[in-house]
Amino acid sequence: MIIDFCAFIGNWPTYPVSGDPEVVQDTLSNYGVSQILVSSLESAWCRNPHRCNDLVYRAAETLADIWPVPILDPTIATWKSALHQARTFVPELHPQKRVHLVRLLPTYSPYDLCQADELLKSLVEAKLGVIIQTRLEDPRRQHPLAQVPDLPAGEVAAVAEQYPALKVIIGGTRTGEIRNLQRQLMDQPNLYADISQVDGLDVIKVLVNDGLVDKLLFGSHIPIFTPHAAIARVVCDLDDGTPNAAAAISKIFSGNAGRILD
Amino acid sequence: MNLKQLRSQLNSPWPVLDMHVHPLDCFGLHGVSSVKEDVRLLTESAHRAGVTKMCLFSLYRTCPREPSVAECRMANDYALAMQDMTADIFLPFCYVNPMYPQEAVTEIDRCVGKKRMYGIKLWVARRATDPGLSPILEKSVELDVPVLQHAWIKTTGNLPGESFPSDVADLANRHPQARIIMAHLNGIGLRGLEDIADSPNISVDTSGGDAESGMVETAVKTLGAKRVVFGSDAPIRHFSGQLAKVLATDLPETVKQDILWNNAAQLLPKWSR
Repeated sequence: MIIDFCAFIGNWPTYPVSGDPEVVQDTLSNYGVSQILVSSLESAWCRNPHRCNDLVYRAAETLADIWPVPILDPTIATWKSALHQARTFVPELHPQKRVHLVRLLPTYSPYDLCQADELLKSLVEAKLGVIIQTRLEDPRRQHPLAQVPDLPAGEVAAVAEQYPALKVIIGGTRTGEIRNLQRQLMDQPNLYADISQVDGLDVIKVLVNDGLVDKLLFGSHIPIFTPHAAIARVVCDLDDGTPNAAAAISKIFSGNAGRILD
Repeated sequence: MNLKQLRSQLNSPWPVLDMHVHPLDCFGLHGVSSVKEDVRLLTESAHRAGVTKMCLFSLYRTCPREPSVAECRMANDYALAMQDMTADIFLPFCYVNPMYPQEAVTEIDRCVGKKRMYGIKLWVARRATDPGLSPILEKSVELDVPVLQHAWIKTTGNLPGESFPSDVADLANRHPQARIIMAHLNGIGLRGLEDIADSPNISVDTSGGDAESGMVETAVKTLGAKRVVFGSDAPIRHFSGQLAKVLATDLPETVKQDILWNNAAQLLPKWSR
């Protein structure tokens, strides 16, 4: 079983992607991904990202493997009603698929994380976790009139420290940032990182050797990236046929998720 | 789906010739203390991913953007030492700096002419439009080896000596007999492919950037299936993650085999085929 913490549906304005919800589900299903935590890609550029959550809720209603991760924006006046919608969403056909996590895109709105204080407190009260996205696209490859810098992962770690009861996932950060936060990841039980954007020779092996196997969550970054890449990085780096390797792979693919989606 | 089934789905069923690899001495997450350690770590990782052979370019330990003649020579000696430690895995390319055209030709004579390196590597010292590249390209034709030229289109700004794909097209048009491999498909993107579409002596390697879906299919559609070669840019990138760009496409199996091996083999010198 594989759980994907970094999946999207919808279109991307500068690069053609196959973001149809059924295509996303079918593609991931080919690799054994059976729980897809999905947000709307189009929220990144919509001036009211909440409006794009409907696409995600609809997909969760109809497609068995799609679990909704609505995007919330604390600078939109109606964020409380968007949060209420997230808390009360129950798909008719799949009532177990309630919202467990919301995603923030601070660099796209844009806003500073300190502006999200009230929202973050509300998430604690609602017992929802948060994925704070640090990158959607390599800044070197962005449209020149639509440049969005990466959010420093340290700012996400600071949120986890400030709100110890809030489960916080660093979304889409790079290898070096994760390694720089090794101590915080080890010390803060509520802090995790997805592996959708990590790269480099033996990168998963390196992160596991850094002691981070319990803090890594699988993420594919579909449909911008092919999910084959993220899955291959985990399996090729760790699968040496030993029980320890199988256990490590299982933690990253789904085991660690249990502490977040319980 | 169990792990064994998943693994079999991820691996290449065909041999893989990686057109773009650097020593760990230059890049990556591992510090290495010897050529032997470099060879071991790189070959172990390649083996796990199913990469059979690797075109190797050292850019010298500190990767200076404008390396001296001596630094190029040391970089090439490092790559040759790696080749000597393994049987038929590393295919070293000769790294030169077009700021020093005559010295570059002398180094190519040493490394390609005498020691049988498999090609020439150009990085970011000078753009491909620079006249200093001409004697290097002429030498590549004389010795029947390809030239691998780095290129990117960076929204954040290219380095002063960093080539754009249009620069590489200019180079190819001035040297129609040369076999040029332009690096970094995902770095040049949808616009860069169009820049080189009408230059039949340029192939593109699939390295550089993330495993964006659809890029290899677009390259095949734009350039034709014979002008795309697999490159990983390991150890900056992960072998398996980069292989996914090719393996996960819906291209015919014969095209995938061409990209993973045959096209690159055709670009290497005749004596090596």
